[in-house]
Amino acid sequence: MFIRSDGKEAFGCLPMTLHPVSEGRLCHRGWNRFQNLRSLNRLSLPLVREGSNLKQVAWPEALQKTTEKISQLLSRHGPQSVGVIGSPWLTNEDNFRIARFSCDILGTSHLDGSYRFSGASALTALDRLFSGSFGSLGSIPAIAQSPTILVIGKESCRDFSPVGSRLIKAFLHGSTLVLADPLCTRKEHFFKHLLSYPIQNLATALKNKEGLPPEVSTRLLEPGLALIFLADQVDSASSLLSLLHSLSPQSAVESHLPLVLPLSRSPNLKGAWDMGIRPGAGGSTLHEMLGEESEVKGLLIFGDDLLNHLVTSSMLAKFKSLEFVLVADRFFTDTARRAHSVFPIPLLAETEGTLTNSEGRVQKLRPFLDPQGENRSVAHILHDLSRLLGKDFPVLSEPEMRKEISKNFFTYRLVASESELEKIGGILLPSPTAQLTLDILQPPEQAPEGYRLLVPNTLYAWNRNQMIHESPVLRIEYPSDRPAVRMNPLDARELKIRMGEKIRIRSDRGETQIPVELDETIPSKVLMIPSHLAELVESLAGKAVHDGAARTVFFPNLSVSVEKI
Amino acid sequence: MEQVVLHKRDLKHWVDLIQGGSQVFVPSRVSGEIFFLPYAGQLESDLLRGNAALPYLPPKDLVFPQSETLFSFTRGAGDIDFSVPEKPSEKRVFLGIRSCDTVGLHWLDHFYLSNFRDLYYQNRRDPLTLITIACNQPMKNCFCICCEGGPFLHPETTAFDLQLIDLEDHYLVESNSEKGKALLDLNRNLFSQPDPGIVEARDQEEQKSHTRFLKEPTSYMSAAIRGITSNSVPPEVWTELGERCFDDGGCTFVCPCCSCFGVGYTAKGETGCHYRFWDSCDYSGFTREVSGHNPRAEKGERFKRRFFHKLSYHYVKRDGRIGCVGCGRCITACPGEVGMPAVVERLRRG
Repeated sequence: MFIRSDGKEAFGCLPMTLHPVSEGRLCHRGWNRFQNLRSLNRLSLPLVREGSNLKQVAWPEALQKTTEKISQLLSRHGPQSVGVIGSPWLTNEDNFRIARFSCDILGTSHLDGSYRFSGASALTALDRLFSGSFGSLGSIPAIAQSPTILVIGKESCRDFSPVGSRLIKAFLHGSTLVLADPLCTRKEHFFKHLLSYPIQNLATALKNKEGLPPEVSTRLLEPGLALIFLADQVDSASSLLSLLHSLSPQSAVESHLPLVLPLSRSPNLKGAWDMGIRPGAGGSTLHEMLGEESEVKGLLIFGDDLLNHLVTSSMLAKFKSLEFVLVADRFFTDTARRAHSVFPIPLLAETEGTLTNSEGRVQKLRPFLDPQGENRSVAHILHDLSRLLGKDFPVLSEPEMRKEISKNFFTYRLVASESELEKIGGILLPSPTAQLTLDILQPPEQAPEGYRLLVPNTLYAWNRNQMIHESPVLRIEYPSDRPAVRMNPLDARELKIRMGEKIRIRSDRGETQIPVELDETIPSKVLMIPSHLAELVESLAGKAVHDGAARTVFFPNLSVSVEKI
Repeated sequence: MEQVVLHKRDLKHWVDLIQGGSQVFVPSRVSGEIFFLPYAGQLESDLLRGNAALPYLPPKDLVFPQSETLFSFTRGAGDIDFSVPEKPSEKRVFLGIRSCDTVGLHWLDHFYLSNFRDLYYQNRRDPLTLITIACNQPMKNCFCICCEGGPFLHPETTAFDLQLIDLEDHYLVESNSEKGKALLDLNRNLFSQPDPGIVEARDQEEQKSHTRFLKEPTSYMSAAIRGITSNSVPPEVWTELGERCFDDGGCTFVCPCCSCFGVGYTAKGETGCHYRFWDSCDYSGFTREVSGHNPRAEKGERFKRRFFHKLSYHYVKRDGRIGCVGCGRCITACPGEVGMPAVVERLRRG
């Protein structure tokens, strides 16, 4: 993508028609991507907490005070008292630096990404499936040649235009497109079938060959299948593993592995994961770091608004009670407001480095803006903190970092080649040659009596994301969620409930009162509350369910009753 | 209209002369993609061969940028200082613009300068002179021949400044405005009077060009205009087409005729600005009201509205032509494969 600038600020963008993935096409976020670059909400100077206020200070003072806090934690409680959070909004190089800093300088194994509740489950499942880093599971252009395509979640084509365009190409060439989405009432004409199943139920239906049209059961098991889903929407690793196993009965035959495309709303989910932004041996996930019994007393958060990602009120309470929080970010986010130290870092548009997209394509990022204000790169921040901690963490250039990455990660061995990276389209990581060995099946969800309450995180990552906040077009396109439950208008009519009226929802674990928003896209007898409305969700669901494989939590679908107040 | 002849070997000399008093923008390649960029002493080879490349981004961006500041403000001691961006002081010349883009800019002129005069557009448009290259080769998706958007311009339908027509070693230069004449006056010695047979040769070139363009995708515009104007397109057709629209807005952004914008506001402390940005009728937020009600919540309705504005006779009568010049950029931009020709073909089938 080209960002156009008048020399002072960005005023537009344009996709490359020659790019093998975009082919000149973008989604509406892409076409408006430049707008957050002109935000006045950028952090420009380091901030340090003094009492209840954050005060702007010069870098030496900020670094000194931050190092003192970190040193205090390390000396009083040991290295495991500090947790580190990397981000899919940082480059591969910066994430690798953060991983090395955690291990070599701090000596902590409590390292994780902000994606623990929105993507890590899917990546854990794929890692287990392929016994390690899985490189590329298929290219986006190859989707167009798939005879059958299973799309999980209707946003998978609308919000990802390069994927959507291949779906349309495949449809025009006669491929069979199947949509699975429990929050959808009407399929587009290019989908031949709509399966209103959550992932785990779909896996069971496929396994038992029950409840599905015969053509679907047959076609989904034929070679050449493409499976497209939003990694953020996979609530547990075991549900995705179950589905993949159901789709690959002859797992020993490599050609029967489906083309798998785990889409992400953040630019570098796969890259951050691949760079080791996850717990080391004996380390905790983000969920565990913010557990009640956690030994973590301080967090260093790089490149993300962590509070947006926390799904339970107990984690929020733990976060508020931490002795020390450092946030290194671009904007003055909610998380930054609660931090003890805040360091401004450059935007991706001001950064050199590489990103790895959903299909496993590593591409070079070329900075086109000079860093603004007193922004300091992640490399220099880590170097300065290390120096003040009495250790050496040299500032390596980005090509030097890529050489390190290529030595440490086998699937990234080609990224040291600058000439390959310079090519339009970058480097597609190698495909795995593994066999499907796991057979983890969740018990099927009981057929609900009354209403089924779904708790997806479909919406929150969008409309609470800083990229959306800083773009006037996208703010309008993704209006903030109101604390309300969404309901089909026909159900509301039956219960004589009007828009905005409060209803009482009861589950076997609790009850709540909440206003109703009518939504024609919600199927009958289904209610939907976005997962980030944590207090509401918890009041109905009780404690979140633990996903042992991904070491995180999620809220399963619930059977509830509804009554008008 | 004046007609003169320019030898191709003199083109660069003429451009250098123009550069002396104006900022010249020419099609230039960046990573293989074409943009209108300031002339830096070199002309792309296809321009010298008498054929202009079609940049993906239409030149409307230089008069109506994707985002621009309307005014900024600073609160001082008791007062608020407002400032409006300064009018460009330098004249600008676009050399190598294709016919469809020239027609597109005139469509924008009609929108921004005829009923009301948009200050920001006018400030950029007034000092601008267009040197069009009459197209002798269609690009991959060109269908201007169906939309009166080219391949050659005619003074009776388009108020162009200068048009260059490729005649082997020479260009026939047609001047159709005072701005165009002023560029010829920079050095009249570079130009000669056309031979007696030149008009005939010009017409033959245009005919040859038409033949080449006819091989490209064509659109059944009249059927679509009739169907849309008479509201006889079945609703399910709009629903089907709308389902293929991914609300990305790409078609509107690269369309030389699309003129819609939104206004944003940003402030921090005592300073801030209002700015406008390209908006798109594809977007659900385009018509959504503060209450949350959206009169065009359905994608099919939004799609229908877009093509009603482009093709209905209501607008043809008001604006003098359809709102499409046949550049084919929407075909490239649309992930749902419902660019203008595909839509028109679908409407014809009913």
